[in-house]
Amino acid sequence: MTDTAPPGWVPVEHRFLGLDRRTFAPALGVLAVALLLLYGLPALNAAIPWRSEIRAGDVLDLGDGATAVPPVGWQLEAGTLTGTGSVAPASLQVRLTTGGATIAVVGASFDGTADAFLDQVLRSEGGATGVDGSRGTVTTASGLVGVALASTGPTGDGLDVAFKMASAAGEAEGAPALLVRVRTTPGQFERRQEVVGTFLRSVTPGAVR
Amino acid sequence: MTTFEARTAQLAAIEESGWGQPFRLVQPRNLAFWVYLLGVGGGALAVVRYFGPGAHFYRPALTGGVLLFGLYLVPWLLLLRHQNRYTAQPATLLAAAFAWGGLAATFWIALPANTALLEIWTKLGGTAFASDWAAGLTAPINEEFGKALGLVLLIGLAPRLVRGAYDGFIIGAFIGLGFQVFEDVLYVYNGAAQTFGTDQLGSSFQIFVLRGVAGIVSHALFSAIFCAGLMWVLGRTPGERNVPRGVLTMLAALVFHFAWDDMAGLSGGIGTVAVVLPFVIAAVELITLFYVLRHAARQERTWIRQLLRPEADAGVLDPALLGAVSGLRRDRKAFRKLVHGRRRARHLLEGASDLARELARSRGAETSEVAHARAELLRLRGGGQVPM
Repeated sequence: MTDTAPPGWVPVEHRFLGLDRRTFAPALGVLAVALLLLYGLPALNAAIPWRSEIRAGDVLDLGDGATAVPPVGWQLEAGTLTGTGSVAPASLQVRLTTGGATIAVVGASFDGTADAFLDQVLRSEGGATGVDGSRGTVTTASGLVGVALASTGPTGDGLDVAFKMASAAGEAEGAPALLVRVRTTPGQFERRQEVVGTFLRSVTPGAVR
Repeated sequence: MTTFEARTAQLAAIEESGWGQPFRLVQPRNLAFWVYLLGVGGGALAVVRYFGPGAHFYRPALTGGVLLFGLYLVPWLLLLRHQNRYTAQPATLLAAAFAWGGLAATFWIALPANTALLEIWTKLGGTAFASDWAAGLTAPINEEFGKALGLVLLIGLAPRLVRGAYDGFIIGAFIGLGFQVFEDVLYVYNGAAQTFGTDQLGSSFQIFVLRGVAGIVSHALFSAIFCAGLMWVLGRTPGERNVPRGVLTMLAALVFHFAWDDMAGLSGGIGTVAVVLPFVIAAVELITLFYVLRHAARQERTWIRQLLRPEADAGVLDPALLGAVSGLRRDRKAFRKLVHGRRRARHLLEGASDLARELARSRGAETSEVAHARAELLRLRGGGQVPM
């Protein structure tokens, strides 16, 4: 008479809390590596400080010759300075941070005005157009005109400014769009207002440089 | 070889290959099952959290991405089904591999791990360094190991089925394919988000074309090579362990992944190099893939020969057919010439594979299924004797 164990049968000497101890090695090995990647890397990342402080004279590359002057002392967490690489304006991602404030600059392809671009951004985030406040005009030192929308909420204050990066007024419709997004913790916006204003005024489209 | 020796070798091949063993994913007493469930469940949850908030607004892009890459899967599955030869893996096991690649490796592991490691490289090297090199120094590590974890879990779930380097190659390809397709949909979503939802169908089609073409020599290939290498390191079949070859094979997959992700950095901003480099890397990848495939198949081919040897000795199949069914592409090509017909050669090869599979399923015993498979093969051969 042959004795064949039913499927899933675990001999008593291999059981631990109802599980088959012989399956522990691959399972725990996988779990250890997965947890290392899932939690170990973020923990290591959190332990390493940012060391990419903006120095006097640094200029941000916004692609196709467009530039902006970042605030000195802020950390450049994403983005490229002029002379250090090439940037595509339609996929631009810049992030500048300092205590309690962030400036994000995002580039996108968009046919239409700066105002329509800001509408599209708000629609994509589920917000009804213009609920946060009335829109204002921002004019940079190079003459570029943007549309600004300020907002405030329990988590902090914000300012979104949309530009079309055209050097001549007639080219604005087809030019790449640029969104400058400022976020601060509550009560911080007033402290950073001047720095933010200086940054916005420094935005320069390519051909003017 | 005597009849007794051939029969002993046949039973040994069935035992070693594990072919014919059923695969059960749900094994509550197996810890690997719970870890698999944690990974795939965690990945599914991450999918909902990632796509959920924007799913309504980005519906055209997501729908387009899912449909296009769903269609893209069809030729891939046909190709991989064709490669799942010799002691073929069951479809349920390959589906489990695909799910691990798509959900666990992509969304549970790679998404958070890549975010962290990309930021680490940016902190250490600056944003200019990161823009050139961070992707290639991040994705190969997190993604190749994340995908290979699925293979290790499947070994835990089906230790008798997942034995040789060829098993690693096929399972790795399915894990990689799952990763690739789910990541492609993620790229479609991110592409639409980058333009804040303008021209969603246009951007999803653009990404489909770009990623679809690049996908030919991407994750499925990387993982097939990496997992075959891992199986050589683990050496789960007597005589197949080869740590140096395994490590070199895994390193090759990592290097290919690095080269693909850091193409811009490697080309150094030189236009001609940027144009030529993808083709050079793709050619090297494909040569390596076929080299690995050939070496990985060696053990499988031996098993098939041993499995069918008693049948060949009994005259059920002739040496040419035995050589073709256990051979490489060139052997099958030669066989097609020999029998003067692609269709006839295919039928004979499938008939011989059916007989081998039924023998494996019956553990070498004479069952009605084995008798039927044998009769079918003899019927096919009877239509015109295969020249000896």
